[in-house]
Amino acid sequence: MSDIQLTIDGLQVSVPEGTSLFDAARMNGIAIPTLCHQQNETPVGVCRVCVVDVEKARVLAASCVRPAENNMVVHTNSDRVQRTRRTLVEMLMADHPSPCARQRNSNDCELETLARLEGITEPRFPRRISPRGQDSSSLVIAVDHEACILCDRCIRGCDEIRHNDVLGRRGKGFMAGIAFDTNLPMGNSSCVSCGECMVSCPTGALTNKSVVQTVLPGEPVDVDELQQLSYFQKVSGTFLELNKNAVVRRHFRKGEIVCREGEYGSTAFYILEGQAEVSLATPMAHVNTESHGTGFLGKMTSRLFGRQQERRSEEGRRATIPIDAPVDLPYDHPVAMLGPGDLFGEMTCMSLYPRSATVRAATDCVMFEMLRNVLDIIQRNKTLKAQLEANYRKRALDDHLRSVPMFAALDQEFIDILRDKVELVRYTKGDVICQQGDIADSFYLIRLGFVKVSEPHPGGELVLAYLGRGGYFGEIGLLGGGVRTATCTALDHIELVRIHAEEFHRMVERFPEVRRSLETLVQERQQQNRQRLATATSMPLDSFLTQGLMDAQSLLVMDLERCTRCDACVRACADAHDGVTRLIREGQRFDKYLVATSCRHCSDPLCMVGCPVGSIRRRNSLEVIIENWCIGCGLCAKNCPYGNINMHPFTVMENDPVNLGRQMAVVKQKATSCDLCTDLEEPSCVYACPHDAAHRVEPNEFFRWVGTPLAPGSTEKAARRT
Amino acid sequence: MRIDQTHRPWVIATVALAIVSTVAYVVYAVEAPAGPRGGSAMGLTFGIVGYGLMLYAGLLGARKRVPTWRIGRAQTWMRGHLWLGLLSLLLILFHGGFAFRGPLTLVLMLLFFIVIGSGILGAAIQHYVPSLMTSRVPLETIYEEIPHVRAQLREEADQLAAAICGPLNGSTEEQTQSVLVEIEHDDRERFREVYLRKVRPYLANPETQGNELGDPLRSGETFEALRRLLAEPVHGVLDDLENICEEEQQLSRQIRIYRWLHAWLLVHVPLSIALLVLGAIHAVMALRY
Repeated sequence: MSDIQLTIDGLQVSVPEGTSLFDAARMNGIAIPTLCHQQNETPVGVCRVCVVDVEKARVLAASCVRPAENNMVVHTNSDRVQRTRRTLVEMLMADHPSPCARQRNSNDCELETLARLEGITEPRFPRRISPRGQDSSSLVIAVDHEACILCDRCIRGCDEIRHNDVLGRRGKGFMAGIAFDTNLPMGNSSCVSCGECMVSCPTGALTNKSVVQTVLPGEPVDVDELQQLSYFQKVSGTFLELNKNAVVRRHFRKGEIVCREGEYGSTAFYILEGQAEVSLATPMAHVNTESHGTGFLGKMTSRLFGRQQERRSEEGRRATIPIDAPVDLPYDHPVAMLGPGDLFGEMTCMSLYPRSATVRAATDCVMFEMLRNVLDIIQRNKTLKAQLEANYRKRALDDHLRSVPMFAALDQEFIDILRDKVELVRYTKGDVICQQGDIADSFYLIRLGFVKVSEPHPGGELVLAYLGRGGYFGEIGLLGGGVRTATCTALDHIELVRIHAEEFHRMVERFPEVRRSLETLVQERQQQNRQRLATATSMPLDSFLTQGLMDAQSLLVMDLERCTRCDACVRACADAHDGVTRLIREGQRFDKYLVATSCRHCSDPLCMVGCPVGSIRRRNSLEVIIENWCIGCGLCAKNCPYGNINMHPFTVMENDPVNLGRQMAVVKQKATSCDLCTDLEEPSCVYACPHDAAHRVEPNEFFRWVGTPLAPGSTEKAARRT
Repeated sequence: MRIDQTHRPWVIATVALAIVSTVAYVVYAVEAPAGPRGGSAMGLTFGIVGYGLMLYAGLLGARKRVPTWRIGRAQTWMRGHLWLGLLSLLLILFHGGFAFRGPLTLVLMLLFFIVIGSGILGAAIQHYVPSLMTSRVPLETIYEEIPHVRAQLREEADQLAAAICGPLNGSTEEQTQSVLVEIEHDDRERFREVYLRKVRPYLANPETQGNELGDPLRSGETFEALRRLLAEPVHGVLDDLENICEEEQQLSRQIRIYRWLHAWLLVHVPLSIALLVLGAIHAVMALRY
């Protein structure tokens, strides 16, 4: 390849053929300012800041894309060039939010630095009127479209350097901008969080989100060392450098506690070496009416107490307890093992839910403890994602599928076929997974996070359910006409197991028993939804709505003209629940009725959102109950808008860690709320009221009473109905 | 318990039993050569059934102690207690032939009348007074919580007053520095004086008789006069203080009504126990001797 002779700023230089004027100048110590050009990316010449004056040329040329030619005479700093460059920078600055995030954080925004060098303080041009907006959907990278100068460095970084092909251009002219995939929010796109775009960006359009101000205990991990691990290999070193405080290596000795159930945290753990035991340490004591007696005496007392046969038929199928780990815990013996390659604590880390289980090192262990930005990076890594998905398919998919009532009795063949057909998909908070009226194309099983199922309603949105890990949705649409009957929205970071419609239909055709049970379930669900809508549409009073009573399925109502304030109801409640009352004779008054502070079994049970072990749930008969594996984190009590869930300390016996083989009394918290005395014939508060003043009623029934004289016996009827 | 049409089956049953007993008693009284006597077969029958009904009525207290036992709804027990307890008086009168011979019998009958009388009074109170409580105490709270609510009200009132005249126990400088509502110095001093002299003592001892703020009418007049006396910016705080005083009045009213609702039990319950014990002694003595 022959050399080319040219003159730059009066200096005779020789460069290889094909060299750009920009490189020719640089190679000879002449700096040309630029914004869109980077040495490791293909030059595109979009910013035009690197313009140079080539003698005998009609217009100024962008030096990054103009190849050097023989005998060319180039001026990089002529008056004309300076004026043009200044105007260009001024125009870019007119739309630039100065100081941008990068300038604020590290004082090195390339555009603002250039503007300062050019002596531009206040651009002469008017600012853009319509904002281009921000995108904060990614956990690790903040996108500020306002600060973007459309230099395309991020796009080339993503496509040419990392070959991820996520970034591109959107819009035209004034509305042009960068876009992720098909103009999705960054967090929802296929972005793998490698950080290359952020590292490439010359301004504050793509910046590193600051790590939560948490100092992680443990051994800091070198960027080089991190990059040796497969799932960090394709991540930009600069980006890892920026996030290196967000991951530490932890060593746990055998027997040491890694995290405790119920504790709040913000980190996830990835096991590098060793085995860890995950378990529920809180004893499964029912904070409830006592269990059934056996034998003659037991039967006699059961009869005396009016206990009925176990009516929780649906609980008979419960075999596992969902936790925030790649495995579920067996109900009878809630202990499981985790090993190298297992990631746990994702929900705590991503959505700050309490820890769902206690993890103890079964052998000496080495783990990475990480904050959410690092977790997001590795979750987006294709290698690790594939590994986690494989783990999930191998260890938890069976349990999850079998936790769906209609799949509970399936044979292994069905599960095995399904195992390879499912797809794992992720959504971030607020994403609509499916909209009412859309074509039903999939059935979903929730692996992580919470989903809200709702229907639009003239008075607002009616929430049909909150579904957590192990929950499922989409079957009604697939079987009942092909369109979605409700809207499903991600309440936080969620991961779903998606079974496509074709696979689903193929499965139900092959297994007719599944189809039959699904059809029955669909009918039941549709009936329940109709009832809820009927309840919602027949509520006439504003106060009823504003007090949230519309949400109630069952209210404890006191007729204050009959009530002698003897508190027999409160004592009966305490008597039925280990001495802890679950109602307080105080609350909102409607006419002569008092709606007591007691669980209303809401149709929008906000209390159920976030339970890390899924112990608060709605029974098929619609009442909300707290199961005995409650770990006492208190999230449901915090979420209940009516203060009807209380945390209560219970003294239980546990193995003494110091004196092995002995037990010690420890105080554990459990959430308590009215369970309608489910194993008694009638709620104790109602049964024990000597004055016929306490009643459990449906809201409709209640409002028929208000302002109208009580029909004899109507209260009993209403009470029995609930 | 409200005695309404839902009690009709009990009333009918009680009246029917009373008629049957009365007919039996009249026949027995007419035909008995020595007149009706407690020791006769018929007299003993009336006594045993009457005492049985008294015992049943007395067991209501025990039943309340085991509220979750499924041995009949509490309201059924209460209705039985009311109507069968009343019937027992008639049967015991038939048992003794309306004669009270001997001191024990006399005491027993006296106790019985008091127990029945206090019971009827209690039933009447529990019929009417809950409505009174509902209408006259809209801000009713749990009875046991009243002292706590009152402490909160006092604290709230002190905070309101401090917004006008600074810390109530602070120095003059502190008082001036920490006020939130700007008014004239004289007005501030006047407000302080009124608060410390009238409002605070009332909130500290709301049950003291004769306090003008404890009376709804006089309290209203007092606050109206204060509004005329003090500058406009203070009126909002005065409204809040008036509301606090009104809540205090309601709490005092709740205490009074609550005592009415339950005070009769102080007579009814111990005397009922005494009656049952003495009744048992009477039965043993009468049968043995």
